[in-house]
Amino acid sequence: MPLLELREITKVFPGVLANDRVSMRLERGEIVALLGENGAGKSTLMNVVYGLLTADGGEVLVDDAPVKIKSPRHAIDLGIGMVHQHFMLVEPLTVTENIVLGREPGRLGVIDFATARERVREISERYGLRVDPDAKIIDLSVGMQQRVEILKALYQGARVLILDEPTAVLTPQEVTELFTVVRSLVDEGLSAVFITHKLEEVVAIADRILVMRDGKVVGETTPAATDEIGLARMMVGRDVVLRIEKGASKRGATVLEVEDIHVDDDRGLEAVKGISFSVSGGEILAIAGVDGNGQRELVESIVGLRRPKGGRIELKGNDITHANARASIEAGVSHIPEDRHRRGLVLEFDIAENIILGDHRTPPVARNGIMHPKAITEVARKRIADYDIRTPSERVDAENLSGGNQQKVVVAREIGRNPELLVAAQPTRGLDVGAIEFVHRQIIRERDAGKAVLLVSLELEEVLSLADRILVIYEGRIVKEFAVADADAETLGYYMTGGGGSKIDKDAIPGTPETPATGGDE
Amino acid sequence: MLADIITPDLFASALRMATPLALAAIGGTICERSGVVNIALEGIMLCGAFAGVAVTLAVGNAWLGVLAAVLAGVVIAAIHAFTSINLRSDQVVSGTAINILALGLTGFLMEILYGHPGTTEAVTTIKPIFRFASERGGGGFVAEVWHWVNTILFSHTPIVYMAIIIAIAMQWAMYNTRWGLHLRALGEHPRAVDTVGVSVLKGRWIAVLISGALAGLAGANLTLEQVGSFTENMTNGRGFIALAANIFGRWTPVGSYGASLLFGFADALQIKLQIFRGEINIPPQFFLMLPYILTVIVLAGVVGRSVGPAAVGKPYEKG
Repeated sequence: MPLLELREITKVFPGVLANDRVSMRLERGEIVALLGENGAGKSTLMNVVYGLLTADGGEVLVDDAPVKIKSPRHAIDLGIGMVHQHFMLVEPLTVTENIVLGREPGRLGVIDFATARERVREISERYGLRVDPDAKIIDLSVGMQQRVEILKALYQGARVLILDEPTAVLTPQEVTELFTVVRSLVDEGLSAVFITHKLEEVVAIADRILVMRDGKVVGETTPAATDEIGLARMMVGRDVVLRIEKGASKRGATVLEVEDIHVDDDRGLEAVKGISFSVSGGEILAIAGVDGNGQRELVESIVGLRRPKGGRIELKGNDITHANARASIEAGVSHIPEDRHRRGLVLEFDIAENIILGDHRTPPVARNGIMHPKAITEVARKRIADYDIRTPSERVDAENLSGGNQQKVVVAREIGRNPELLVAAQPTRGLDVGAIEFVHRQIIRERDAGKAVLLVSLELEEVLSLADRILVIYEGRIVKEFAVADADAETLGYYMTGGGGSKIDKDAIPGTPETPATGGDE
Repeated sequence: MLADIITPDLFASALRMATPLALAAIGGTICERSGVVNIALEGIMLCGAFAGVAVTLAVGNAWLGVLAAVLAGVVIAAIHAFTSINLRSDQVVSGTAINILALGLTGFLMEILYGHPGTTEAVTTIKPIFRFASERGGGGFVAEVWHWVNTILFSHTPIVYMAIIIAIAMQWAMYNTRWGLHLRALGEHPRAVDTVGVSVLKGRWIAVLISGALAGLAGANLTLEQVGSFTENMTNGRGFIALAANIFGRWTPVGSYGASLLFGFADALQIKLQIFRGEINIPPQFFLMLPYILTVIVLAGVVGRSVGPAAVGKPYEKG
């Protein structure tokens, strides 16, 4: 008897068929992965189950009994819990307060906090989800916050745990921990629905895989019966190249020259501690590293968003060390920022406006300080066509696009400007395989056109598949340089986590005299 | 001269002056904690002040006047709740509109009811609860201490004490009851509250109505306990100072009360200094500015470091 069953669920949004007669079953003690690209209808389906949306057709059965789930409260009462992609946690409140919210123990409206804390401790011990019940959410790491979300669902009596893109915000180590947690929960008799677009996760965690595309279930399989390539094909509907073939690099003249720069972070601590490197035309230089080792500050100093406190940055021989963002653009630097929502786009602006930002002072978009709507439309339509942005019109607001299409807008703008240097910071973060392939192709096309590309990425796969040369950054310093042929994920990982010792590999720094590494300068 | 200024009277007056500010500030705290900005406190207080006097004049019972003030506050707050919660309009615009409405409405009703603008007839004010003799025979140190204690603590009218009780009770409720936990969560992450099955709409409505009741009570204190009559625009920016006190008090009831005491003290000092304006050679207008300057200083100096509820001012849309 299935714990949860969906029969021919249909959900229509104005103009979009988000779920088209979707059926699925979930047995006790089972993990079902819902795999699909962004916008395939996975989250919509689960929001129907969780009572956030009402289906237009079909039925939901819990324990073989048909139910109309009207609200999240109702879903919770039926034993369905959901861990949302954006956490439903109140940051200034404590772990306990968040977990018991809505179901507080107590009498006459007065909360019995001692009992509440005790119950939280009980559940957290029973499932091995250790967390300080009195810590404030705001002081916890993202991985811990997610743990609180899971505890909240368990406290509410969840038998089914829906996890919506749970790994999007986690570090690789936290992902491993999460998988262990979910496994042990399922061993305890719970069931889980795991929503994701990441292939390797599905293979690692799922008992059964349901693949969705364009609102429909297009296939059902098990990890044993398929592999990542097969899943990717099902998910996208065509053959997807997970690792793009590229020709040999035709290195040209040096484009970017970074010399011993030092950059502070927002708290005034030195985040970049003397980095030197150069990037030539026709080459992709990747900077690999664990998040928070100075990548952000390094990128921002190169693209004119942060002032380095020491050192020199040159673009084709011109000093751009103290250039601001405008001067940087004018000098020929394009920037795909790591956070497309905060820095890449003005979400409330439409595609046309977003796609000409940065070009808004120069012809043909503007003449003598006056913008030309007709020219903007023309430029926008051309870029939309060139970069395959899926939208009914250039007047759609950026916030209404899928993540992949939003990133295409950013890529279209930055590459469309025809820069000398493209700085791409985590250019495929949060994208699904189809969109990743697209962005990777664009980056390689830039390289093949003789442009210099500086790629900063946390994803080793991405670094290994795109880069010609790799620098490993650790604690604000370059600790190792690789030619891509000499690098593999294991060795990179070793250096990224400080494995090479904190000594600086002088060979990695062009232009510094050959001296034996002294070692242990920290 | 300093001994003439620093008297028990000054502190008693500070407590009195703080009361309407504190009541409105606590109202503002509750409202903002739920996620609704209530810039309409000023107007609500004004309507409460008027309703209190009007009903007292009509029926001759000041306590019915207080009740009327509270109800008037709730009614006006309901307008704010409806526009900002149900219609999801901009809360600052709604609040500003209510402030203008309150000014016009009270002026208009003055003309209709009393046939003239300006100030109403006087009502009999509510008297202090305790009447201990301040002088206790013999004089000396004990008598002096008693004089201070009696004047500062035991010379007040009921609503002054009510305000203190309300501050403490609300503080306790906010951190110990379901209502309080839901309130604190509402202004930070309404969707989180919604997904555990607690109504955002209801929670915010209740908070806005409570803030209306408290601001109405503040108006009653002003007219029925302090002044004894209603004058057009007599709140004179107190609603806004209350908002500042709420922020300075870091969105807590007791904090709001404490901050209001500071503003109340500035006001009391200002009045006291007026008396000595012959001796202190400063134009009286400068003294009048004191509470407002203090507001600016407090807001500029403290607010930068004070973080309010994350979702305050943002209408909640389901789904």
